[in-house]
Amino acid sequence: MTTGPSGRILVPIGESVTLRKTVAYAVREARECAEAGEAATVHFVYPITGRVADPEEFDDPESLLDRVEVWAREDLGDEDGSAEVRIETAVRASDVYLFSPIDYARTLIDYAAENDLDRVIVDPEYTPAGSAPMVQPLEYELSRSDLTIEEAPVERKTRRARLVRGSDLAQFATVFGASYLFYLVIGGFAGTFDYVTGAFSAAVTAALLSQISLSEAPDSRTPLRALRALVYAPYLLWEIAKANVTIAYVVLHPRLPIDPGMVEFKAAVWDDVPVTTLANSITLTPGTLTVDVRKRRFYVHTLTTSAREDLLDGGLERAVRFVFYGRQATNIESPAERRADEEVTEE
Amino acid sequence: MTPTDIAVIALSVAGIFFAIVAAVGVLRLPDLYTRAHAASKSDTLGAVLSLGAAALAFGAGVPTVKTVLLLVFMFLTNPTAAHAIARAAEDQDIEPWTTDEEGDA
Repeated sequence: MTTGPSGRILVPIGESVTLRKTVAYAVREARECAEAGEAATVHFVYPITGRVADPEEFDDPESLLDRVEVWAREDLGDEDGSAEVRIETAVRASDVYLFSPIDYARTLIDYAAENDLDRVIVDPEYTPAGSAPMVQPLEYELSRSDLTIEEAPVERKTRRARLVRGSDLAQFATVFGASYLFYLVIGGFAGTFDYVTGAFSAAVTAALLSQISLSEAPDSRTPLRALRALVYAPYLLWEIAKANVTIAYVVLHPRLPIDPGMVEFKAAVWDDVPVTTLANSITLTPGTLTVDVRKRRFYVHTLTTSAREDLLDGGLERAVRFVFYGRQATNIESPAERRADEEVTEE
Repeated sequence: MTPTDIAVIALSVAGIFFAIVAAVGVLRLPDLYTRAHAASKSDTLGAVLSLGAAALAFGAGVPTVKTVLLLVFMFLTNPTAAHAIARAAEDQDIEPWTTDEEGDA
């Protein structure tokens, strides 16, 4: 760090719990270099593994890289790709079978040489070969080249060391504030007694539940998301109203023109909160009922053909992406287009 | 009759209409999943419209705020309940009713 780290960064990409934070770290590092006037570019490289077990659980490389790019641009605050940090993504080794850490290291070193990169940031949870530990041998192999190797300093849930962190306080304050306000509203702002008991109750609630009710502390993006959610609410209400009229027609129609069926699709939203929002929104819009969500795979029961088409057109999904990831994330194609080649609708 | 009265009556009527649709839906639809549609959503809208009427009738003040909060919680809890029921059914391997089945029979 002290010797002026390079801004030409290579990040190997694979599904991992700390991928999001690794991306954020790499982008932050590159940005610091860009601000210091150096050339800054981040290449996210996905070395394709030979592993074929369990393909359901993992994204295909392109969609994972798409997601990484969305994250990176989000962190840059860069909606139109004009920032001073260049973001590149690439899939590597689709023609060879990567077996050992040496193979991975060689792929990465070759890529770095081709693209004039001299710094590698490794996700500490990077395990491309499934459950086998990879990071240490990979770093060892990489360190025999000229590249600078670095592990992204990301927090992992299982390795919490300190009891109180800054984000804990922010979580506590948020839950405390919301509870206190709720208490006072319900009580009708009725005098000193309410203010004292309210503060006490809110403190107890926040102490007990702040870690549970908020999985991560509110950050600088939260107000913007709240604003976008305000745009989303009327849109959702309108969709609900419209769809309810359709369902009323179907239910009251003498011949009961329904055509129920299960639809399964993989939603292009990530993280817990957006997935929950989308699942609940789908359930709220009549004609569609989220039965189950496993990771990003939605199982939705639909009542009519038109409800099914609406769902796969992805209007709701796009709106949820807008709320959580910003305008440029709405460009991702709709579920119907994404799965044009895999027809899984049960008849 | 003031405009507020008219709005209150309109909202109540719409609320009752959707509540009836929900009831009719539960009676007419063929299986658990389709009935969950009617029970959860038309019913939500019915309740929400009725609550909206109540909020209007109260006018500005604490009762209105409470009504609106109630409304928000209806929106949050109803889909969750419907989801829980449908998921429980799916875990029990209850097959959804389809139009095909009827054709075969």
